Amino acid sequence: MENPYICNGRAGIVAALLRGLAAFVVVLGCAGHGGSGVSAQEIETAIVLNSEEASVSVVDRKAMVQTHKFTVGREPHHIILTPDGRDLVLASTVTNELLFLDPATGIERRRIRNIVDPYQLGYSPDGKWFVTAAFRLHHVDIYEAKDFRLAKRIFIQSLPSHMAFDKASKTVFVTLQGTNSIVAYDLATQAELWTAPVGEAPAGILVLPDQKSLLVGLTGEDAAVVVDIEKRAVTKRIPTGRGAHNIFPMPGGKRILITNRIENTISAIDLATLSVVDTFHVSGGPDDLDFTPDGKQFWVTQRFRRKVAAVDMATRQVLGTVAVGRSPHGIFINGPHTVLRTVEPPAPAGKRP
Amino acid sequence: MQYLSNLWADAHGAILEYLVQPLMFRIGLTTYYEDVGAAVELVMLGATQILVILCVFRPIERGWSGERWSDPRPVRVDVTYTLLNQLGLLPLLVFVVMLPLVDELLDMTRLHGFVLPTVEQLVPWLGRNPLALFLVYFAAYDFAGYWMHRLQHALPWWWALHSLHHSQRQVGVWTDNRNHVFDDILREIWLAVVAILIGVEPGQYVGLILATRLIESFSHANVRFGFGRVFDKIVVDPWFHRTHHALASPAEPHIHDRNFSAVLPIWDILFRTAVYDYKPRPTGVDDPGVDADNALGWWGQQVAVGKRLGAAIAATFARQRTSRAT
Ligand SMILES: [Zn+2]
Repeated sequence: MENPYICNGRAGIVAALLRGLAAFVVVLGCAGHGGSGVSAQEIETAIVLNSEEASVSVVDRKAMVQTHKFTVGREPHHIILTPDGRDLVLASTVTNELLFLDPATGIERRRIRNIVDPYQLGYSPDGKWFVTAAFRLHHVDIYEAKDFRLAKRIFIQSLPSHMAFDKASKTVFVTLQGTNSIVAYDLATQAELWTAPVGEAPAGILVLPDQKSLLVGLTGEDAAVVVDIEKRAVTKRIPTGRGAHNIFPMPGGKRILITNRIENTISAIDLATLSVVDTFHVSGGPDDLDFTPDGKQFWVTQRFRRKVAAVDMATRQVLGTVAVGRSPHGIFINGPHTVLRTVEPPAPAGKRP
Repeated sequence: MQYLSNLWADAHGAILEYLVQPLMFRIGLTTYYEDVGAAVELVMLGATQILVILCVFRPIERGWSGERWSDPRPVRVDVTYTLLNQLGLLPLLVFVVMLPLVDELLDMTRLHGFVLPTVEQLVPWLGRNPLALFLVYFAAYDFAGYWMHRLQHALPWWWALHSLHHSQRQVGVWTDNRNHVFDDILREIWLAVVAILIGVEPGQYVGLILATRLIESFSHANVRFGFGRVFDKIVVDPWFHRTHHALASPAEPHIHDRNFSAVLPIWDILFRTAVYDYKPRPTGVDDPGVDADNALGWWGQQVAVGKRLGAAIAATFARQRTSRAT
């Protein structure tokens, strides 16, 4: 049966634009590779969502320039990969829609409407559930990922902001900035399991590899906290910097990076010792970041500066910045590393939602 | 242009990064960090406008002044309006009146899955041409402004407020902001409705606001020149807007009910309210009650015009009652 929300084959202008861009990149790629074809890994772009100007910037990472910009709905904030790594999901918050893009080229493949206020989004590791946090409209939606049928809309008057899933795909944890707490929902029954206070304005959240505790960035404070899932309480506080915000597992899976938006730093936390082992200085309120395929750099959005910065992880130096649009938020770098984006390896092919 | 835009972005970023965001963090409001950027930009817009008035418009007004003014006091009141509105009141109203209204209404409809298509979704070509998209939004907002202005003159209670703007007999580059606070609030509500119906320009709305405001300020300039007989059909110039501020006379009782457009005269031309006769006329309102505004300061005008509004509303009710009785 056809899902009424899915508009297959709706190529539109974005697709046309990106096709042009892809052609351009292919031409560049061919020039650099003796006229041979170009594979996804060779396309060195970063896709940046300019949340306050409803546009997407495509950045050539090698030349360090924005090669293209196209409009998408209103207030695009976050972009993620599907668990199988085949599609990029771009959420346009105010226009209630999800755009599925080719991760290599950015070409729009399909569009799903009526996803209300998809500020933050995520798939359960098994690819079965798709969850959105409606920050402005105060609810968490749990969808069946295969057809985007809404399993349950859970209203919660508390600015739900970020989410994390456990390895077993049983539970989703959501940070609640309005009540300075986190909430856990059972995915199968969509029932609320528990809530716990964690500290001022919790944002990024991650289930630690032992599956027994959570790491939460406190944007209203200067630290990340470890929350014991069984005790439902904070067990450790890791000072990182003012405005501790979003959390990103590093290539290799042994460390994470956390952006400190007000401190203008990014801290590396060792997951074994749960302590800060490295600090990077990036101005402009660093927010979301992503790693290059070789694992040597990360690119981070500088929200106040309308730029993205490329940082060399070995030297801790900012290699350069690229001007994009207003309030750049989500960023995606294509490449084979994309499996690292989720805590778990991707679901086997064929299990595509 | 690119240089100016980069300069603007850098200044905005620096203010947020070094001043405003650390302050927000300290007072425990980091959650609202996404809204602050726009607030800072509105104040920057106001400061820029004041700077342009001081450094560009005022020298022009001094060099080519049209009327000689005898009393500096009413002009000083207009300066007060400009400083107060641009640096505080207008940004505040945007955040207290306009955005909450837009959010509330949009959120309500959005929650039920109802989203109006954006201009670029309706006309995909515009999505590929940012300049054209900018002009479409510019024209749409100006068109809405034209009709609001028609209502300001046509509805007796709204004219009670708007007549304060017209009461100035020494119209100059500071006069644009001479409006009653209620009038400013009504304008924000109007803008909110427009924003809901046609959306917000996605890329360059800051440029859109700045361009509009600068043209509006300059159209009030006390000069006796315009942009020429071709360009004054494209953009509102001092000649055009001065006619709108003209003092009505027995020979021309409705001269101020002409030339309503704020930026694009095309609306007046289309709806047959345009006058291009390049006749110098005194400005003001031929009603002693309204003219009395000129003797008052900012606060005095706010109180007096507030009372005028009350009287106009009471008169409307009285009229309705008598018409029902007969
Ligand atoms: Zn008027």
